[in-house]
Amino acid sequence: MGVPARALDYADSFLPGVIPQEAELTAGVRIEPGKSYGFFTDTTLCIGCKACEVACKEWNALPADDLGLKGTSYDNTGSLSANTWRHVAFVEKISGDEGTRVTEMQPFQSNWLMMSDVCKHCHNAPCLEACPTGALFRTEFDTVVVQPDICNGCGYCVPACPFGVVDLSPDDGKAHKCTLCYDRLKGGLEPACAKSCPTDSIQFGEVPDLVERAKARVVDLHAKGARNAYLYGAPDTPGATGGLGHLNAFFLLTDRPEVYNLPTAPTRAANRVEPALTAGLVTMAGLALTAAAVFALAKAGPTGPGRNGEIR
Amino acid sequence: MSGNFAGTSLPPSAAAPYMGETYYGRPAVKASPFDWKVSSYIFVGGLAGSAQILATLGDLAGGPQAGGMTRTGRWIAVGGSAVGGVLLIADLHTPDRWYNMLRIYRSTSPMSIGTYILSGFAGFSAIALGADLLGMKRVAKAAQVPAAVAGAGMSVYTAALLSATSTPLWAAEPRLLGVRFAASSMAAAASALSVVEQAGQRQDTARTLDRVALAACAVEMAAGLQADRAYRRKGVADALEKPELRALDKVGALAMGAAIPILCHGLNQVVRKPSRTLSVLGSLAALAGGLALRHAILKGGNESAGIPENYFRLTRPEPPDRQPPRVASTGERERIAHHGERPYTPAATRVATSLER
Ligand code: SF4
Repeated sequence: MGVPARALDYADSFLPGVIPQEAELTAGVRIEPGKSYGFFTDTTLCIGCKACEVACKEWNALPADDLGLKGTSYDNTGSLSANTWRHVAFVEKISGDEGTRVTEMQPFQSNWLMMSDVCKHCHNAPCLEACPTGALFRTEFDTVVVQPDICNGCGYCVPACPFGVVDLSPDDGKAHKCTLCYDRLKGGLEPACAKSCPTDSIQFGEVPDLVERAKARVVDLHAKGARNAYLYGAPDTPGATGGLGHLNAFFLLTDRPEVYNLPTAPTRAANRVEPALTAGLVTMAGLALTAAAVFALAKAGPTGPGRNGEIR
Repeated sequence: MSGNFAGTSLPPSAAAPYMGETYYGRPAVKASPFDWKVSSYIFVGGLAGSAQILATLGDLAGGPQAGGMTRTGRWIAVGGSAVGGVLLIADLHTPDRWYNMLRIYRSTSPMSIGTYILSGFAGFSAIALGADLLGMKRVAKAAQVPAAVAGAGMSVYTAALLSATSTPLWAAEPRLLGVRFAASSMAAAASALSVVEQAGQRQDTARTLDRVALAACAVEMAAGLQADRAYRRKGVADALEKPELRALDKVGALAMGAAIPILCHGLNQVVRKPSRTLSVLGSLAALAGGLALRHAILKGGNESAGIPENYFRLTRPEPPDRQPPRVASTGERERIAHHGERPYTPAATRVATSLER
């Protein structure tokens, strides 16, 4: 993508204010309500620098989680949480049978897989579908956002999410997660993580454009010999399963999803409302009929049909 | 396997059967923040809902001798909805905003559906009891029908509440959970009413109620045993294998909740002179078992969310023939290991093992 000519209007070191539609200069995309925005995270480009994690914390003024060492890899963040909305996973390839570190360097991706995880902004988002207060809503940019001034901390979105993203904050008792920088989008700015990513592993844009770009990238990687590359969360790919529709934040992966802590075929939680309710109500109807019959028999009294009827 | 994802060619690594790969054993989904307050609510709500149904049926079909039971059932319905409401609000992490539950209605959210079921149930139950106490028989008769319908909802919607999540143990068997909660609610209500009838020396009604409990416990037992098998087959039973949950599930839910009441009430049905002790024993066991069932399912679900293998087994693509996914269970993995084919262990475990050497 070329840089628009108007970039030259903002060449000064000190700018009078925010650049209008700055995302056009940084990500090649205009941000307009009514369109669908998301992330394409290409894990083959990720170098594990965690610039996205830091940029997210800085922009959203999020406090640190626990500062301990996990002791398993360079990933001491561990997981997404109420205060961590980008999380860089580090998967070290351990040689097959012996459980030892490999000694030969692979020509591609060395022996590490890195992936910057984030809320997927699901098309049919289970967190939103579970929210009983309307605190979780779909924005004009087709993203999923929690309104903390409405959330009453029921916590039902937490187990609803098929990717373990949204969480309750112990500090304020409300649910929090990635907003896809709702405030920045409103100001025409690219989300902080994507803007800070030095390798363009995180790409921000309109979802249909991103899907095209991602498909071309897979073809390109296959042609170059990386035959394991595939998309996760784009339409008709793993992750976009079970009624979830596509994921607005999708990924290019090179190993099975579970290795990155992602389910291969997640499902929409609301699929299970009807079966549970129907089976329960049918059982209730059956038991109520039984009870009615038992009451009626008892009413008929010891001389009635219930007589020897202790053994019915 | 890749047939599910028309348009992409899954690399062999992603299409291969799941062999226990995880990300350093870290949870793949988050556990609900629900605790004993929610499991107690599920029990109390079900008890109250089904008690209203029995009270109404007793009033409509039971004749004059069921009058005392109907009154007791109406009391349980009102008491249960009050206690239930308090438990639910106490479980919120911002309880002073509880009324935000009434901002919207969302049919995909059992939490939202339940808010209105509970509100309606509490309202109609209060009218039915109030009118009954004031001697307005006709008003009570009119209010008890919608109250009983809402009572059916109270008894089962909590199964949908748990099932409509990504928690492996809850999501695995929505239908069986619905049947179990329904049967257990009815058993608990019949048992509670039976105990009160026994205390009031109305043995005939107690006996009738014990028959209802007997039927409900039989359904609960059958569904419980089937759920047990299904959880194992789907590879989500690991949490329920933990010792304290195993005790709660097997001794509490299955033995106390179903087996003992079936024995006690069953015996009372066949002997010539039914024993009061057996009746009360069976009733108390069913009540305790119902509470144990809800605690076991709630805690078991929260634990299962922390076991990534359980979630990943449940989220394998369905093979084209729509058979349940073939997965290597824990036992199978051990067998495979025994026969020399090395199962996958998380990288972290393997590093640890290699360091030990
Ligand atoms: S990934 Fe989870 S938190 Fe994000 S939109 Fe989907 S369900 Fe909601």
